[in-house]
Amino acid sequence: MNPSDATVFEITGLSYHYGKVPALNDLSLKIEHGERIALLGANGSGKSTLLHILDALAFGEKGEVKFRGAALTPQGMDDESFAYDFRRRVGMVFQNPDVQLFNPTVFDEVAFGPLQMGWTHDKVNEAATRALEGMEIAHLRDRAPHHLSGGEKKRVAIASVLVLDPEVVLLDEPTVTLDPKSQSQVIDLLVGWKSGAKTVITATHQLELVDAIADKCFIMQKGQIVATGTPAEILSDGDLLLRTNLVHSHRHTHDGVTHSHPHIHGTGGHSHTH
Amino acid sequence: MSQHGFLSGSIAAFTHALQHALESEELARSDGWLQRLNPRVKLVGLLALIVATAASRKLSVVLLIFAVALVMAMASRVQWKTLLTRVWLPVLGFTGVIAVPAIFLTPGEVFWRSPFGGVHVTHAGLRAAAMLVSRVETAATLSTLLILCTPWTHVLKALRSLHVPVEIVAILMMTHRYVYLLIETANEMFVARQSRMVGRLDAAAQRRVATRTGGVLLGKTVQLGEEVHLAMQARGFRGDVRLLDEFRMAARDYAALALLLGITAAALYVGH
Amino acid sequence: MHIPDGYLSPATCAVLYGGAAPFWYVSLRKIRRRLHTRVIPLLSVFSAFSFVIMMFNLPLPGGTTGHAVGMGVTTVVLGPWGSILAISVALTIQAFFFGDGGITALGANCFNMAIVGSLVTYVVYRSIAGRSPLTSRRRMFSAAIAAYVAINTAALFAAVEFGIQPLLFKDAMGAPLYAPYPLSVAIPAMMIGHLTFAGAAEAIITGGIVAYLQRSDASLLAPFSGMAAEGAVTDARTPILGRLWAGLAALMLLTPLGVLAVGTAWGEWSVKDFADAASRERIAAASQHRALPAGVPEGLHRLSSAWTAPFPDYAPQFIKSEPFGYMLSAMFGVGLILAVLWLGRKFLLRGGNTP
Repeated sequence: MNPSDATVFEITGLSYHYGKVPALNDLSLKIEHGERIALLGANGSGKSTLLHILDALAFGEKGEVKFRGAALTPQGMDDESFAYDFRRRVGMVFQNPDVQLFNPTVFDEVAFGPLQMGWTHDKVNEAATRALEGMEIAHLRDRAPHHLSGGEKKRVAIASVLVLDPEVVLLDEPTVTLDPKSQSQVIDLLVGWKSGAKTVITATHQLELVDAIADKCFIMQKGQIVATGTPAEILSDGDLLLRTNLVHSHRHTHDGVTHSHPHIHGTGGHSHTH
Repeated sequence: MSQHGFLSGSIAAFTHALQHALESEELARSDGWLQRLNPRVKLVGLLALIVATAASRKLSVVLLIFAVALVMAMASRVQWKTLLTRVWLPVLGFTGVIAVPAIFLTPGEVFWRSPFGGVHVTHAGLRAAAMLVSRVETAATLSTLLILCTPWTHVLKALRSLHVPVEIVAILMMTHRYVYLLIETANEMFVARQSRMVGRLDAAAQRRVATRTGGVLLGKTVQLGEEVHLAMQARGFRGDVRLLDEFRMAARDYAALALLLGITAAALYVGH
Repeated sequence: MHIPDGYLSPATCAVLYGGAAPFWYVSLRKIRRRLHTRVIPLLSVFSAFSFVIMMFNLPLPGGTTGHAVGMGVTTVVLGPWGSILAISVALTIQAFFFGDGGITALGANCFNMAIVGSLVTYVVYRSIAGRSPLTSRRRMFSAAIAAYVAINTAALFAAVEFGIQPLLFKDAMGAPLYAPYPLSVAIPAMMIGHLTFAGAAEAIITGGIVAYLQRSDASLLAPFSGMAAEGAVTDARTPILGRLWAGLAALMLLTPLGVLAVGTAWGEWSVKDFADAASRERIAAASQHRALPAGVPEGLHRLSSAWTAPFPDYAPQFIKSEPFGYMLSAMFGVGLILAVLWLGRKFLLRGGNTP
């Protein structure tokens, strides 16, 4: 693995099936170091599958996936030193925090990654404590996961990934099911990585976030990338958004008129003349 | 039990379990004699006392161990009321039901001739009943103290000192963690069903709710297992369980261990 | 059926822990080989599932409710070894954390419910289901029946464990030290409840969940169904093996028929048969009325004291009821033979891999 290779991920011709159902279809993309990417798409477009493949949790039947020039394959992950290195450098925050909170206490959870890496107990303790403080959850360290609120669980999940200081962070629908305050905290975090310190790939269907959390968007539909662009470009292309099922157009009333047209909630209103 | 009985019964069981867990966790973190001891000492010491309780042939020894348990409870700020509701009354309930007939049915020298012909109270019967109830109460009190005064994860990590394989400890920890998730899932399904009920649910319908919930739960269980596996791998898990074990032995721990084992040895010697 | 501390003597508990240990060991090894890194998460969630099923309050015919252990479901989905572990883990948490079931008695509870329960379920299930399709009604019924038989077998073991306490463990004045009821009370008491309520609960939840799976995701039933599937560790021998086991079990249950036979088999006479006038007449009648030696043949007398069997006449002394004495002897004898065979195979086949 060449650490200075600026291309973090390079995928060519990737195909993946769940049994007989195609999930990814001849997909190709390139992600450079420090980019903040939004993977947009309706449910079922293949976003989660792609994230799993980027995190070497699944492998396509066809095509190639490279991390910093090194191919990600099942055989490659059998090599212990390669695998540990990869796991430390790439972290994933799953959509369902319960799946990621499998340790008996918050502290144990955050310490899990460092323990797997084989760090000394002192280093593990230190890193875990720092990660807890970073996410402002130090007071929760002895709490059991079933006694946490949704927002707290999400913060623990993020802390448990950031504790290893990965250079790539993958997030699968990070704000879905969160209350507004917790959503803000997560968004703040994603905004804070604008500096390019980390490469961030966020899968989401919530268009209202895209502007804040990403510099580049890939739109997915039926297992393929159908469009790329900056948030501004994407958000202004109403047809595209409608075609890819990223906007809704239900009836609503304003200025005394009831009509329907594609729109997005929460992007600072949509005024137009009739 | 009414037509609501089955759903309410299950929901009640779930709620009770969650309550139980909450209570245990709170007490385990308060300040008391047992709470401050090393979990390994507590596990080994209290288990030893339970074995002594089981092995003793003398009622007096069992009652003495019970007294020791009470002293430990007091020193650890465990209230009578807690022990009463969690241990003493339930045990009296089911063991009492089993023990009372023994008073009359055990063969032996008659203690009291009952006016209802044929059925008499025997010496042996009284002794047997007393032994059984005392033993069960004492053992249950000891194991409850262990749980009330030690965070569950510490109890499990302490099992390593009894040479329980580390994988089993990891499984026990993870099982415990996910029991609550599954209880909540099942509870939600039952409560949702209950809220849609108008009028009676016949027995067959009730059974269908139960088996359907069970089936859905199984599906979610399988999915959960697969996803947790992925999440574990994503953070570097490759099959070796690594536990953070921070238990140090202080002078007080050695003293307590000596005390508990000493009482055990004395009880075994005298009780045999 | 969760036995608390205090009902079984430490000796009984120790024996049952000792009996459970080899099964735990074998189960863990087999399941590790099958699942690799998935052992911990999969077994944990299944143990949690088993735990929650045990909490279901099931409505039973007659207006009562009951609880099931769930051994039918876990065995059908995880196989016998996975089920042994999953239920053992659930029982361990119940015992330690919830105080449901004793800690000294944990070995006994695991032996009865997890081990006997899972193994009997598997044997009966595979025998009856045969090669029927995954979604067939026959498969569902075989799971339900298997669970019913298994929970009752587990209850029988528990009843025997209870019942021998007053016979073996008494204080100086003859009062029982642990469970106070003999077999003649313990067995009917336990079995009546299980043949009716608990058995029904087990059958209902097993049949119901298997039926649900057949509709929603039948692939979950595939790995231990006996149908050759890709990647499944199904042994072609197993259905036949299963039938043999079932046959053996049936034979064991039928052994008490021996009680009906009168007298002593020809040539199997003991010293006392030669001394007693009535039996001498029977011997003569069965031997074409040849004359018998006047007393006990000298050689017979000398050799008869050379060996005293532990269970003379298949009736362990402490079992007052003959039929159960027979059954216990049968179980013990079969167990002994199997143990010897297993040990022999282990040493002779050194390191052979068996499913």
